Amino acid sequence: MARSKSARQQQLEELALAPVEWLDERSGVVQGSKWFLFRKVPRDVSWAQTLGSATLTAFIVQLVTGVVLAMYYKPDPAAAYDSILAITNDITWGWLVRGMHRWGASVFIILLFFHMGRVFIYGAYKYPRELNWLVGVIILLLALAEGFTGYLLPWDQTAYWATVVGININATAPIAGPFIADFLKGGAEIGGETLARFYSLHMLLIPGGLIALITLHMYLVTRLGVASPPWSKEAAGRERVEVETRKRGLVEPRRRKSVSRKDQT
Amino acid sequence: MSTKEQRDDFTRYKRDVKREGKPFFPYAVFHDTVMSLFVVAVIIGLAALWFFTSGEEAGDAGILGPRYQSEADPAAIQFVPRPDWYFFFLFYLLRIFKWPESVILGTIGIPTIALILLLVVPFIDRRRERRLLRRPVAMVASVLVIASLGILTYKGATAKEGAAGAEDAIPEWIVDGNLVENAEVVLSTDPDAAALGADPGDAETLIEDGAELLVQAGCLNCHVYRNVGAQNLGAPDLTEEGSRERGLEWQIGHLKDPPAFSGGSLMPSFATLGDDQLLRLAVFLESSRGN
Repeated sequence: MARSKSARQQQLEELALAPVEWLDERSGVVQGSKWFLFRKVPRDVSWAQTLGSATLTAFIVQLVTGVVLAMYYKPDPAAAYDSILAITNDITWGWLVRGMHRWGASVFIILLFFHMGRVFIYGAYKYPRELNWLVGVIILLLALAEGFTGYLLPWDQTAYWATVVGININATAPIAGPFIADFLKGGAEIGGETLARFYSLHMLLIPGGLIALITLHMYLVTRLGVASPPWSKEAAGRERVEVETRKRGLVEPRRRKSVSRKDQT
Repeated sequence: MSTKEQRDDFTRYKRDVKREGKPFFPYAVFHDTVMSLFVVAVIIGLAALWFFTSGEEAGDAGILGPRYQSEADPAAIQFVPRPDWYFFFLFYLLRIFKWPESVILGTIGIPTIALILLLVVPFIDRRRERRLLRRPVAMVASVLVIASLGILTYKGATAKEGAAGAEDAIPEWIVDGNLVENAEVVLSTDPDAAALGADPGDAETLIEDGAELLVQAGCLNCHVYRNVGAQNLGAPDLTEEGSRERGLEWQIGHLKDPPAFSGGSLMPSFATLGDDQLLRLAVFLESSRGN
């Protein structure tokens, strides 16, 4: 039997928990975390369902490395290229941060497609998860927009001319096309204005939207639950086969009572 | 299926999860953590492979490409427009539509339709069945989408680029295409030739300079001339560009501002070449009439 706590111990515990309780009473943050962490998921959830959180991890890598890059990068046509050279070759671990940001983008996009493929194969977009599919598709679009705007920032020849053609592609859209192209360019030619715009979109607007939508996406997943693999024998929500009670005659011999594996061992 | 059946299904799902499910923490979190660490390791691995196999010089590529190309220069049009690999499928889609009027299908039409279809997937497929083998339409659609994305990405990645050795082919172009004779005809019949300061007597130099420019200004990074060059972004073949007899004035104007002369054009402006060089290029193009 556990010893009863001394008065002093109880006092200390209350003191330590007081700030947490204060916070929870006013925000519900502890309740919310419990709701998120200790919710039940179907027992057959396994590796295939880790693609979503893997995608989130890739996004967090992009956020962290992006913040570090922003400390050294200069969004000005006269200085951008030199700052990229400095980040890659001179600054301590700069190559790693830029390399992780550059390749993390590819990994992020690949994982988005894999995650979407998994959801499609599992039919997990069906009732009541349709809204989350829509949110996911918009996240994919914003991720591609991040790829497009980020590609210009190193300000080298590939970046520049790929963006020229990319903006021209936008301009072919009916009605809105020329306006979008003019907005992206910010002038007659692709130059300083364009770079500043792409930098702002890439750093503020699109990531802000992504963070908001990913939060919504995760809220909906938590609220609606993760779907079991459709072929699983123990899938949550499966239909139970009614037990046969009718006696069978000679024409339809009764199945021999099989010994289940569990009983054998 | 009816809304009631759907709701019953979901109620049963929630009941099963509550009864038989496992807590998200630590069970699912364990899988997620292992996977996330693997993802971070892959990203670091790619970054290291990219950095340590490439050199400090611009364009010095390693296994995963160069660290950077030379600095952006709006005046140096010697370039190969190439997006990041995950846009290759869109990029290659453009090559399928060769006529200027149909380019919009590749740039906006098909991507928009694909996006709308992707968005409405849950509203088209409202059946309860989730097993892929019992969803033949979904199965065929997913195989087709994966195959076409794969093929388009592969074709975009391996697409022939640039115009290596084009320079050596110039004398052959001039002889095979009768370019000097064509240029003499163009310069003596084109109403704007005199105003542009071009004389039929200069035909030979104008053609030779124009051919040099076609190679050096990067035209062949997108266009094809007599089977040399790349077909980036569905740019038209220039071998018979002159047969349409649009005139020198049109050619120069088009080089300066392509979309204004050819609707939906993706071609960038070549105004930075200057009027003198644009005239040479225009004479060359206007004299190119196939065989």
